[in-house]
Formats: sequence, structure tokens, C-alpha cells
Amino acid sequence: MNGFAALGILLGLVAVVTAAGLLWRATTGRARTVRTHDVVIPAEIGVDGFGGRATLLQFSTEFCAPCRSTARVLDDLAADVDGVTHAEVDLTDRPELATRFGILQTPTTLVLDATGAVRARIGGAARPDDVRLTLHRILGSDHVSA
Amino acid sequence: MSQPDPSARTGIDPRSPRFGAGITAVLLLIDLFLSLVGATTAAAVLLLVIALLFAWGAFAGIRRHPYGVLFRAVIRPRLAPPTELEDPAPPTFAQAVGLLVTGVGLVLFVSGVPLALPIAAALAFAAAFLNSVFGYCLGCQLYLLLVRARLIRRRVDA
Repeated sequence: MNGFAALGILLGLVAVVTAAGLLWRATTGRARTVRTHDVVIPAEIGVDGFGGRATLLQFSTEFCAPCRSTARVLDDLAADVDGVTHAEVDLTDRPELATRFGILQTPTTLVLDATGAVRARIGGAARPDDVRLTLHRILGSDHVSA
Repeated sequence: MSQPDPSARTGIDPRSPRFGAGITAVLLLIDLFLSLVGATTAAAVLLLVIALLFAWGAFAGIRRHPYGVLFRAVIRPRLAPPTELEDPAPPTFAQAVGLLVTGVGLVLFVSGVPLALPIAAALAFAAAFLNSVFGYCLGCQLYLLLVRARLIRRRVDA
């Protein structure tokens, strides 16, 4: 192959990987609404109980740097918003939970309402403002339906 | 709740592994170019050097890697202090993933699969580039998939 063709392949590779990186950066950490009515029971993930109004259920793994920053973000939010708790589960110890919840990346955070139903899902490092908005939406709709 | 390994509590500057991944990405791009234009021997030797550097990071730990030393000596003094420190285990694991990809490429190449060389270089480049430019750690996601496949199990206290 001549040098120009090889440079063309190099440029193409860099372009594709850059596009993948930009796509990842735009979508990671965004909260997506979940409507599956999947209800999580505290015992199945090994915690004593959930928050009175909402629970931020975070799945982590051992070698996961963004899991640490997400844990800090969610801890702060749980301390800040009444009736909200943060639970963290290490999938290294509980691989069956990764299958149960279809988790393909860590951290993945599920936002549970007061009944333990999954209401939103956040793949990647959680964005504080996005989580706060999601909590307000879930807590707000609970007030409406109550 | 998981706690990081206590011996790793000191942490590293998260910019150090990204700086190292940047050097690795440039080297892999050069390697891919050499392999594409037919400088196969040079490409194989360079990929071997890159694989040995991955092995250094994977077995000696990311902190003892030459790029980490270079970062602390030359780059770190010119930057503001890091806002937070990072557990060295994830980037060390990522070095092992890099070693696996380049190592498999070299073994296949030596056993008569010439295309393995540019493919391994391109895959490793994609991972190193994403890590350096976007802070996306592919090795960390692979770790989860291995856990899911039950190929990795943490030592059970027994």
C-alpha cells in the first residue's frame, strides 16, 4: 500500500474513533425514563431497606474510577434531598445482578421510587443536575398520584 | 459497599494515565502506518515494544510505568494540582487489557496471520485514543463483561 492510502486509512480510523467518543460523551450519564414496572426488593440486592421516597441504586465494579465519583455525587444528593437514600452494590461480588438488570457498563444507577419500582436508569458517571431533575420528577408525580 | 484496596488509598493523578495513553496512541498510529505501507518487520518490533510497555504497567503497576515517571517529572509540575485522586487499580487493569490485545496480535502475526498486526494496532489505538482524549476506559467496561461471564471472581474469604 502506498503512503497516501495508508494515511487515508489512519485519518478514517481517527475520524471514526473521534465520532464514537463524541457520541459517548453526549449520552453518558444521562437519565433515561424506564416504564417496565420492574420492582426491586431490598433483600435481592442485599440491603436492609430503601429510602422513604426514592432510592439511588448504584451498581459498581472493582476497577472502576467513575464509580467512585458517582458514589460521591449520589451520596451528596441523598444527604441533600429528604427521604432519598443511596445504595451501592459491587457487581464483582454479585455477577447475577448484572444479568438480572442487564447491566453492560459501570457505574449504572437505577432511580427507584418509594415502592422500589425502577423509574429511571443512568448509564455512566451520574450528572448531579440530571439526577436532581429526575428525582424532582419522580417525587413530584408521586405527590400528584397520592 | 466496596472500598478500594487500602494500600492504594493514596491514589494517583487521573491525568497521568491519560497522558500515557496519549503517547501510546501516537505510537500505535505510527505502528499501524508502518504495517500498512509494508514495513512489516519495523511494525512488529514497534508493537512488541508497545506490548512490553503495557506489560510493565500491568505487572509493576501504573505508578512505576515510565510514562507515569515522565508525567511526574515533566508535566505534573506545570499543571494545577489535581482536583481529586484516582484509584490506580483501574488504569493498571487497562494496561493488562492493552497487553492482551497487542500480545494476541503479535502471537497471531508470528503464527502466520499477517493481518493480525494492523488489526491489533488499530484496536489498541482506538482504546488508547478514547482513554486519552475522552477519558473513556474500555478496559473497565471489559472487566464488567468478564465478571458477567463469571470469568473473573473475586477471591472468596474462606
